[in-house]
Amino acid sequence: MGNPAGYHEVAVNLGIERQVTVNGETRYVDVPLWEQYVDFMTNLLTFNLGQSWVIYESTSVYEIIALRAPRTIWLGFWSVLIALFVGIPLGFYAGLNPNTWGDYSASFGGIVWRAMPNFWLAVILVAVLSNSQQLFGFSWQNWLVSTNVVTSPNLTFLRDPALFLRDTGTAVEQLIGATKQILPAALVLGSSSMGNEMRIGRTAVLETIHSNYVETARAKGLSQRSIVWKHVFRNALIPLVPIITAEAFLLIGGSVIVEYVFAINGLGQLFFTAATQGDLPLVGSLAFIFIVLTLSLNILQDLLYTIIDPRVGYEEN
Amino acid sequence: MTGTQHAIHESMRSRIVANYRPALLWVTVLFAIVAFEAGAIFNLLVEILQGLVSVYPFGNPFAEQVASAKSVSESIPTLLSRETIPNQGWQTSANGPWEGTFLGLEPMAAWLLRFLLTYAYAGVIVAWFAYGYRLYRRHYRRADWTPTDDVVRRLSSHSWGKFGLAVVLVFLVMALFAPTLGPTTSEQNIENPYSYTMKHFDAESGSVEEIYVGDANSGSESQGAGDDNIGPWSYDDFGRFHPFGTLPNGKDLFTFMVYGARVSLFIGLTAMGIMGVLATVFAMVTAYYKGLVDLSVVIVGDSVMAIPQLLLLILVAAVFNGHWLDSIYNGGLLIALVFGFTGWPALWRAVRGPAFQVSTEEWVDAARSFGQRPSATMRKHMLPYVVGYLLVYASMTLGGVIIGTAALSFLGIGIDQPTPEWGTAVARGQPFVATQSWHIAMIPGLMVVAVVTAFNALGDGIRDAIDPQSEGSEGGTSTAAAGGGGG
Repeated sequence: MGNPAGYHEVAVNLGIERQVTVNGETRYVDVPLWEQYVDFMTNLLTFNLGQSWVIYESTSVYEIIALRAPRTIWLGFWSVLIALFVGIPLGFYAGLNPNTWGDYSASFGGIVWRAMPNFWLAVILVAVLSNSQQLFGFSWQNWLVSTNVVTSPNLTFLRDPALFLRDTGTAVEQLIGATKQILPAALVLGSSSMGNEMRIGRTAVLETIHSNYVETARAKGLSQRSIVWKHVFRNALIPLVPIITAEAFLLIGGSVIVEYVFAINGLGQLFFTAATQGDLPLVGSLAFIFIVLTLSLNILQDLLYTIIDPRVGYEEN
Repeated sequence: MTGTQHAIHESMRSRIVANYRPALLWVTVLFAIVAFEAGAIFNLLVEILQGLVSVYPFGNPFAEQVASAKSVSESIPTLLSRETIPNQGWQTSANGPWEGTFLGLEPMAAWLLRFLLTYAYAGVIVAWFAYGYRLYRRHYRRADWTPTDDVVRRLSSHSWGKFGLAVVLVFLVMALFAPTLGPTTSEQNIENPYSYTMKHFDAESGSVEEIYVGDANSGSESQGAGDDNIGPWSYDDFGRFHPFGTLPNGKDLFTFMVYGARVSLFIGLTAMGIMGVLATVFAMVTAYYKGLVDLSVVIVGDSVMAIPQLLLLILVAAVFNGHWLDSIYNGGLLIALVFGFTGWPALWRAVRGPAFQVSTEEWVDAARSFGQRPSATMRKHMLPYVVGYLLVYASMTLGGVIIGTAALSFLGIGIDQPTPEWGTAVARGQPFVATQSWHIAMIPGLMVVAVVTAFNALGDGIRDAIDPQSEGSEGGTSTAAAGGGGG
């Protein structure tokens, strides 16, 4: 603090001090803590999130988030998708063939897969993919399009969808490249949800398959295929809904680790650097946004429930 | 169980007096077993005391007394100590005999002997307690049969749960006997390598030389390329044996891991203790009073649950950097507190159902109309039913806490640097995963996976044992176990 006058200027800007004039002389007075707190809360609740102090000096928090968010959203999107498309089919397969070798290996794999720490899985995956040429004689980096294992994906096509019309070739290549780059990270981030979905899917199938209406359908002489798809599958999806929405929760925390290892410049890494470098407005705003996101997802989950399962309702009866 | 504890204690004494032989025999053998390790136990107590005294903020009036107690404790002979079976020695000539090791064995054999003896000793203690339980059932318990018997029987035929229990026990022994199990100690090898010296046979000068442990460490680094690698189960150039190889800075990975297990266990147990107490109290109170009390705990719990735990941990670790709270147990206490005070809602939610169920039972109603104090009703008539469920979720959450702690130290925050933590080892080994020094990141990672899987398996086992009908419905447990997935 070489410049005391500058200090007061900053302090006034931050709302810690207030400038007053006493007998024509300029003085600075501390703003009481309760007033600072009320200001802070009012700002939060009116979504007035302020500016970053350290990382992007005097840039609006919204601008920074808009810059970083697409990568995290892209990552989250794929991790939910991978978990869904791997976890649920595996779980349903295990449930439809209970107590077979396939079931045992899928179940055991799911349990161990879920117990793996994300950071370790990420480290191993990065190492394996970076050296895939030596290990398997297959180069992951040069497969389809040439990409690095650890960098942020190029998401220009998301910001500028018109690129698909203007220059289809480049846009498609970018899309493939971005997807390929995000896949390993998404696999790690979705790992624990994948295991959960598998286990829940397995038990849900087992429960529905022994229920009375499935027995009835079988007695009616319905084909195995239509029993599985029409009666078992749809009902077994119900208990999976909270697991899928709870994933969002894991994604928010997990993205810090995964983005750190895969060097993806997203919100998770932003939070980590902001927290360790003391960029308080940025950290506070990010935490606030994450919490608001979680709460809205919880509400969405309750609404989804009423749509999927008509037995759940909120009307008085 | 707990409900009639008082009555059992009263008559238990008379039953033991009436038939004292088996009990006396059991206690005598127990004392004999424990006496072998008296020095180690006393040493552990003194170390805990030392930790507490060093925390005391206004000077350390008892520091001297504690230090002298420590030296006394070190002089008590113990069977499984480094002094009885030393593994650190040096060769007197190029291929000559070993000096300083147990019976002149090579360091690997001496260390392995101590390692196996330690686990055998732990196995004997566990078996002796199991035998004691059977003795109690045969001779001293009033009832021929209690529901607990069925729980124990179901657990002992649950192979997945038994696997979990076995691995958890291995982990516990690793944490408790850390100073004995490591080929060297954390103090000598990891924290203050330049305060200790060691002897080794120097091939170049052809004589036995004494060097600092730190210098030996920098000569036995595992850096992936070239000759710089001391892999698992190998010797370095200084005649030291490394069961898991060395870290990139030449420190012993196995020693690092056993002390790291201690840190993980401390954080896990402290966090679980806080979580467990809060969850139990809230579950009892909300189930007993219901209504407004329940609603307020729901709101508080949901608010706490809405905060992403890992983000809060990062934030707290950054904000409290340099605070006195951060200095206790090298930052471990702070992490444990955060886990404890943010983890209870999940645990409470998991036992809320059983607690509500038991609160509607007639016996609770009877106790209430009979005029029993609410706290006594909760303790005697509701708690025993909930304890089993608490154990299930506690076991599964513990795995999550271990992952979370490791994730934090992987990011380089939380536990202060020289202190061993499993996540730190993964972070150090990250650049060398695909090289010949793969062991640095691989072994700690696999150990985390094994321990977390084991805690989950143990939880599964207990759940199936206390509630055989629950086998199908896994919804609740999965969400509880997923708590650590963020790491």
